[in-house]
Amino acid sequence: MRTPLWLLAAVEGAAPQAPAKGETNPAEVLLHHVTDRALFRHLDWGRLHFEPTKHLVFFVIAAGVVLLLARLARRSYREGGVPTGLGAVVETLVLFIRDEIAEKNIGHDGRVFTPLLCSFFFFILIAALLGLMPFPVYDPSTGHFGLVSATSTGNIAVTLGLAFVSFLAMQYAGIRKYGVIGHFRGIVPPGLPVWLLPIMIPVEILGMFTKPFALMVRLFANMLAGHMVITVLLMLIPLMAAIRAAFGVAVIPVSLALALFIMLLELLVALIQAYIFTLLTAIFIGMFAHPAH
Amino acid sequence: MNAQALAYFAAGIGAGLTIIGGAAGIGRLAAAAMEGIARQPNAAGDIRGAMIVAAGLIEGVTFFALIVAMLLVLLK
Repeated sequence: MRTPLWLLAAVEGAAPQAPAKGETNPAEVLLHHVTDRALFRHLDWGRLHFEPTKHLVFFVIAAGVVLLLARLARRSYREGGVPTGLGAVVETLVLFIRDEIAEKNIGHDGRVFTPLLCSFFFFILIAALLGLMPFPVYDPSTGHFGLVSATSTGNIAVTLGLAFVSFLAMQYAGIRKYGVIGHFRGIVPPGLPVWLLPIMIPVEILGMFTKPFALMVRLFANMLAGHMVITVLLMLIPLMAAIRAAFGVAVIPVSLALALFIMLLELLVALIQAYIFTLLTAIFIGMFAHPAH
Repeated sequence: MNAQALAYFAAGIGAGLTIIGGAAGIGRLAAAAMEGIARQPNAAGDIRGAMIVAAGLIEGVTFFALIVAMLLVLLK
């Protein structure tokens, strides 16, 4: 099946490293869209050699935007008044995380973990929103100009890092309260018959690792799936045009409307996934801080 | 039928089964939540929050299976 190359390139974002000639397989275009790849050619700064990839660049942008957001929100307190504008929005979310997520699920120690939970929430939210926004990219070495957008949390290495921090926070919560020995003794509920221990100890240790593992895969899959669905819907146009050009034109409004709907859904998913990651981290921290129940 | 055809076949059936499971889970969850809200309209906010979390958990497990199906197609 021949598909018009320029249409695929337009769908795929016309990235600097556009698919090679003859790469018209829809599955390959889909994979190309969601996997990490070099965004610019090698950057050589003295002895340092960089090859910034798509996800790395958007990871740094997201982190920078979160820092900027926090700075700007703090600035609105400076006059000693009620925060307005951006500060009020950030304050609402931070208060929600502190009161509804941290203190409800962790208890009195909730305040200690609020900064971490806020970082998770804002980073995941902004990383997901960046993926819905096209950014112009110009590569001087190849002369290509195109639009690129990526969700850095759609890369399993990024979510692995987030989940690892969450895992460390869970262990820290237990060790901080009960000490190292008490923490690891507390993973098995007290009062169990001795013959159950050989089963329960491996199961509980496994449970310790499956919690962050589930966080990792959930966030990764949610971010990946949305982008894949949008790409597949937009790819309907060249696929139909390959059969007959009129079919391609006819499917444009349907395809765009469906893609727009999924994009609006993605806005909701971005908020919900940020909320769920934060909430589950808080719940798991609470579990290790209060192992009896 | 060669190996690639079998992979496509398995991915299609797997995606369908995944959706059945996810839809059954979220459907039961929504039914129970609506019943709860109808009985206790005051608790609608709490029930909605708990429902979103549970829906996220079900969706997460569903995505595990969908990723396996996608890998069958994309990494043949």
